[in-house]
Amino acid sequence: MTDLAGTFTDVRRGMIPAHIYNDRELFELEKQEIFSRAWVFVAHESEIAKPGDYVVRRVLQDSFIVARDEQGQIRAHFNMCLHRGMQVCRAEVGNASHFRCPYHGWSYRNDGRIAGLPFHEEAYGGEEGFARKGQRLLPAPSLDRYNGMIFISMDPDAEPLADFLGDFRFYLDYYTKQSRSGIELRGPQRWRIKANWKIGAENFAGDMYHTPQTHTSVVEIGLFREPKAEKRKDGATYWAGNGGGTTYKLPPGDFDERTRYVGYPQEMVDRMKKTLTEAQQQVIGEDGFMISAATVFPNLSFVHNWPRVADSDDVQPFISIRQWQPISENETEVLSWFAVDAEAPEEYKALSYKAYLMCFGSTGMFEQDDVENWVSLTNTAAGSMARRLLLNSRMGLLADGTEVIPALTPQQFHGPGTAHTGYSEYNQRELLTRWADHLDRPATPAKNFEVGTSAPAGKAQA
Amino acid sequence: MTSTHSSRSALGAHASRFERTGASLAFDDPRHLQAYRWLVDEAWLLDAQDYTGWLETLTEDIHYLMPVRVTTALGAGFDTSPGMAHFDEDKYSLSRRVARFLTEHAWTEDPPSRLRHHLSNVRTFATVDDDHLIVDSATLLFRNRGDIHPGSLVSAGREDLLRLTAEGWKLARRTILVDDAVIRMQNLAIFL
Repeated sequence: MTDLAGTFTDVRRGMIPAHIYNDRELFELEKQEIFSRAWVFVAHESEIAKPGDYVVRRVLQDSFIVARDEQGQIRAHFNMCLHRGMQVCRAEVGNASHFRCPYHGWSYRNDGRIAGLPFHEEAYGGEEGFARKGQRLLPAPSLDRYNGMIFISMDPDAEPLADFLGDFRFYLDYYTKQSRSGIELRGPQRWRIKANWKIGAENFAGDMYHTPQTHTSVVEIGLFREPKAEKRKDGATYWAGNGGGTTYKLPPGDFDERTRYVGYPQEMVDRMKKTLTEAQQQVIGEDGFMISAATVFPNLSFVHNWPRVADSDDVQPFISIRQWQPISENETEVLSWFAVDAEAPEEYKALSYKAYLMCFGSTGMFEQDDVENWVSLTNTAAGSMARRLLLNSRMGLLADGTEVIPALTPQQFHGPGTAHTGYSEYNQRELLTRWADHLDRPATPAKNFEVGTSAPAGKAQA
Repeated sequence: MTSTHSSRSALGAHASRFERTGASLAFDDPRHLQAYRWLVDEAWLLDAQDYTGWLETLTEDIHYLMPVRVTTALGAGFDTSPGMAHFDEDKYSLSRRVARFLTEHAWTEDPPSRLRHHLSNVRTFATVDDDHLIVDSATLLFRNRGDIHPGSLVSAGREDLLRLTAEGWKLARRTILVDDAVIRMQNLAIFL
């Protein structure tokens, strides 16, 4: 048995009991207390652009059909037939007006409503026996969107997504709103790694310290333009709302010059100036910080980088969105999408895709070495010695809590939240403190839904 | 021109477009024997992680493509993720991948994996050009890392375009159709 109260106390002071990265009891708690409440990313609108388009995505073991119905409305329904519980959609992507259960032939429109119930009269005595009218697949308890990103929550009383994201939206816009049209997503690549889901989330949230060591090889082969990854310590990490991330410090210049420096053509820079707020432009143009990796609690991460993709000094930016989908306490399915501004020139899109493939994803040269570390860490965290070891995650703080480098002032960093330059683990502590706070709350039982009786199966989605 | 994975790729414009003609060549046809030998030699190069040697067997205009497979309904008309791949490489990007393995800091292969590329179902087709052959094959890669972890597998079908050059046959185009939608390997720090 784990001393939960002691574990949470240790985590909150930045001392991490190593077993939290491979602990079945804690994983069961995470399923109940985090993934049954938090907003979880499932898809982007661009993946289901046309009426009838759908993708099937999971939140832990629960499969959801995320579809655009014939009226263009985006919906997410639990992928389980109301009759005997078969998966009504067994593909992962496609276009369909209806989903038909192969077991007994019940069918549903892409807005979730029952369309066909074989032998309704003969088998049930019609509406009196089974109230078909108004019945639909079970909707996701909550669904909300930001910049085209579709999130669902298993909590019907979840706070609005905008409130959950909070000031992190300021930073999310850099990745997802480079023009009025926003991003289009491709993929995802999916693969399973023998690592705990929290490790990737922490790494992307704030680990600038690993770059010079873990990623030495990509600097040596010239994928990185800068001769040394040590430049990372000049960047800032920030935490705002329910997310945080890392930045690189750019050479002197204004917004246009610095954005071009990382490889954006002027026409894209011009569009960014129309969609980004003054403060969002100041972080780049005045403060000189360019966003790189980030994580939104609990398991959604982003990365923006600008490698060399050909034998020249030019660099090419790319964006990836990724989810650390927990499978068990020691296995994670990574879903890694390539994202690109929808209004970007076709040639830019092609090279940005190339940059993504070279750096991140299943074959990415950065990601290959990251995963090797995370698998090893997870493996080591399983044993009894890991229960005795408290990992020091207090980087950036002296023993008395004094900051090694004081926070940037609002004049030095125009974004919301708190930002620090230098190597630190502020963001990893923010993430794991939220983790502890979620696990430390009393569970609320979910309500049941009855099918075919007079009680309607869940309320219709607004 | 037939629409192929390679021709549809945003990064495939430079690739050779020769396609198969007619039925597969007889197994005692010298062209088949040469293609088969090329593939067997390649499998041994890849098992040994002799990537410098492997790079020399690729043409300058190679397109090395491994689309992401997706599960779709029967009749959907597609079974790869539109516009997304695991590998979508030219000679430059492959050379960077190889250069990385040659540094002392490619941690994911230190200690190195034990690799075995099992090769089967090889058949060869002529093209309209005598110096180009199409070769189909199946490959099953077994990869084991460390001492205690079970190994992992990747199964795939491949379509290769081989070109006869002054230095012998070289690979000018490869399309790898992996049989997993979700890859069961920690990364693809390997070549198929």
